[in-house]
Amino acid sequence: MNAIAQLVAVLTISAAATATTYWIKGPPERAVRCDPAKLKPDEVCLERVMNEWQGRVLWVDARPRGDWERNGMAGAALWNLESSENMQTFEADIAGRMLDGPRVVVYCNNEDCGISRQVAERIKALQLGNEVYVLYGGWRALVAAKLTKDFHRK
Amino acid sequence: MRIAISCWLALAGFLQAGGLTFEKEVLQIHAAADAGSVVADFNFQNNTDQPVTIAKVDKTCSCIGVEVSDGKLVYAPGEGGQIRATFDMQNFSGVIDKTVVLWLDKDPVEKPSVTLTVEVHIPVLVALKEKTLKWSVGAKPETQKIDVLVDYTKPIKIVTTSCTSDNFNVKVITLEEGKHYEIAVTPTDTKEPGLAIIRIETDCDVKRHQILQAFAVIRRELPPLP
Repeated sequence: MNAIAQLVAVLTISAAATATTYWIKGPPERAVRCDPAKLKPDEVCLERVMNEWQGRVLWVDARPRGDWERNGMAGAALWNLESSENMQTFEADIAGRMLDGPRVVVYCNNEDCGISRQVAERIKALQLGNEVYVLYGGWRALVAAKLTKDFHRK
Repeated sequence: MRIAISCWLALAGFLQAGGLTFEKEVLQIHAAADAGSVVADFNFQNNTDQPVTIAKVDKTCSCIGVEVSDGKLVYAPGEGGQIRATFDMQNFSGVIDKTVVLWLDKDPVEKPSVTLTVEVHIPVLVALKEKTLKWSVGAKPETQKIDVLVDYTKPIKIVTTSCTSDNFNVKVITLEEGKHYEIAVTPTDTKEPGLAIIRIETDCDVKRHQILQAFAVIRRELPPLP
């Protein structure tokens, strides 16, 4: 058997193994796995928000304004840390919406996005007493759960 | 068979992400009170035996500008470079963390190799000890106060205050001119829930400390959450 035939044989075996794995275990897992035991104290799993709290939270979108205008959670308030934004406007908007006492859940682009945590800290600093959380997995978790909507709002 | 294995290993080699070693991945910067921006330089070296390519650089905020050593993206073994992050502070005070994320070679989108953090300490020249004053619906409309402390080399005076609701009386009490004030807030009544924004204007020469904001809230007791 020459080298090319050997290479083809190796590739064929690998492809067969891949196909078998796909057939037995299904497509790759795209949902964000959230283990409550491994969460940081201020984080929350999407599953808890949607099941235990029935989604009754004030969503805060910490992504750039363009993203928030394009898509996101229905009714989500915008609060990011972009230089072009007015932080006092964000404060006033969110303070008014926190009056009825909902929990607040902040999301941004992914689980590594530190902006969610910084925004959450600013919301806590309003001292309104509401529980404020950072969504584990952020935007990726919401998309995987098919909870986001397209808006085209301006 | 040896040729096939060599080919296989060569292909597998492409999947290996290279690495850059940074002197520091977290930099602390203490900014001047009136600084508009600060610069953080992250020095790195390619300590591997293969060239490393910076495939993508992402910043988590439009308030950061990022430059990679004169735009050079490929680093030979032993070669060093610098990532310069410039942070525009106009909207910030206190301690702020900002990150710059680097994808090297064939890093997957969800797993960048490097996250650099700039921890900027921006002096808080005028601090409101209380951000929100709260009354329960039906409670006695007692006066509550916001403590305003100045921490600056020059005195900072409160020039005016305003409130978005007629239901609250707002009065400035000077404890030490330019240094220490109290804002006394008294609701006319607490029959209905509501929120008022109290704006406090100062004569501070640093723009981000010229207008401060606090809240006065009359709210029902929060219902027990499930």
